[in-house]
Amino acid sequence: MKNRSAIDWALRCYPAWWRERYADEVRLVSNDLTAEGRSTATVTVNLLGGAVRARTRAPGMPKSYGLWSTRTRVSIAAATLPWMVVAPVVLIAMGNQTLRSHAGPVTSSGISFLPTDLQVVTKHLPWVPAPPLAPAARLVLYAAAAVMLLFLVTFVVLISGWSGLTSAIRHSSSPDRRRLRLLAWVPVLSLLTDIALVFAQNAVRYPDYRMVGGSVAGNARFVAPHLVPYGAHPAEARALAVIVPTVAGVGWLVSIVCVAVAARRADVAPSDLRFGRSVATIVASLFALMMVAYATWGVGLIVQARQAADGNFTTVGFSHPALWLPTVLLLAVGVSVSGMSAWAARSSWKVISLTYVH
Amino acid sequence: MKSKRLGRTQDPTILVLTSLSGGPKHGYAVIKDIESMSGVSFGPGTLYGVLARLEDEGLVESMPSDDHRRPYRITGNGAAVLRERLEANVKVANIGFERLGVLGA
Repeated sequence: MKNRSAIDWALRCYPAWWRERYADEVRLVSNDLTAEGRSTATVTVNLLGGAVRARTRAPGMPKSYGLWSTRTRVSIAAATLPWMVVAPVVLIAMGNQTLRSHAGPVTSSGISFLPTDLQVVTKHLPWVPAPPLAPAARLVLYAAAAVMLLFLVTFVVLISGWSGLTSAIRHSSSPDRRRLRLLAWVPVLSLLTDIALVFAQNAVRYPDYRMVGGSVAGNARFVAPHLVPYGAHPAEARALAVIVPTVAGVGWLVSIVCVAVAARRADVAPSDLRFGRSVATIVASLFALMMVAYATWGVGLIVQARQAADGNFTTVGFSHPALWLPTVLLLAVGVSVSGMSAWAARSSWKVISLTYVH
Repeated sequence: MKSKRLGRTQDPTILVLTSLSGGPKHGYAVIKDIESMSGVSFGPGTLYGVLARLEDEGLVESMPSDDHRRPYRITGNGAAVLRERLEANVKVANIGFERLGVLGA
């Protein structure tokens, strides 16, 4: 029973047109092979490899515009959505940046991402100059900046792709285009909700201040003038501290699903598919660069730790360095899916362009 | 001396077309035939990937069947392509044998 379910599960990974044509035959052949002693795992892995090839190369897919258009749209979605899932994880895994030396925490001046004028933070002024940055720390900082820059550039490219999708849905002849437009707008609604909640959080977390002191109090001791907060709402602040990240996370995931469904169902014009293919290619390329930058960042952290152990250096630290390896592995999976899907989108568009456009 | 690497370089397209050139066969029979003639074990995912492509290119075609074990046969185009590819392989093989001193020495 388990054997059959593994093979059936692998067959479900094939595209619908392929399953309709070959699934029954392949199930029988697979059962024959396992009955004669070939391991179910081997057959299942081979079927999964075939499913990847069927989805990326589509050998033997019937020449129908609907099928190729759907394949292109699904490929575009599959090339861009892994970035939407993994990129926030990368930023969370990097966390906040701090500077440290053997003498304690270090502060810097300047707005450049390469810190200058390093000083050890002590209880007493003046602070003392901190040791120089470890050579690998520069690499870490450059890599972190590259990750951020790539995140922002990819985000802008995706906004442009999203704008193309909404425009394509608006001009499509699909009967349910209103519903699809609503689905495509879910990310914006989610973002507006997040912004409103952050404003609300700031309102209850940061109260107004009033000046007190500056005169002799009742017990005849002079109280220095100082600001005290008033008007805070601790209960609301605590609730919002849970609500805001929850709504942001759930909203992000729901947005991904809604955009995927809208892209899957929208019947869009070939010119919109060409634009989507370009977006998919750019996102997949930037995503791969992001993985390289993030991997470099992690390697830099390891080298920097060794340099700091051997000499007196200021090092740069991040919140969650232990998450580096799992995040790199997650990135590798995401980049692979994104790259293969972008390739599939390009090849699908090529078939559409040769068969249906010219 | 056997080389595993050389075993992997055998073109699945040639193997499937060669198998079908001996007469129509269904998927399992093709796998067993290829296994006996070349020692290569095809999985169902690999075989049907090749069959789908060959069907799309008109080099093989499926035949009607009462059950789901649909037999496939090579088409005229498929036979021509197979002949062309085998001739090219034979030419390379002969040159290789000659240079190794196995033929014409």
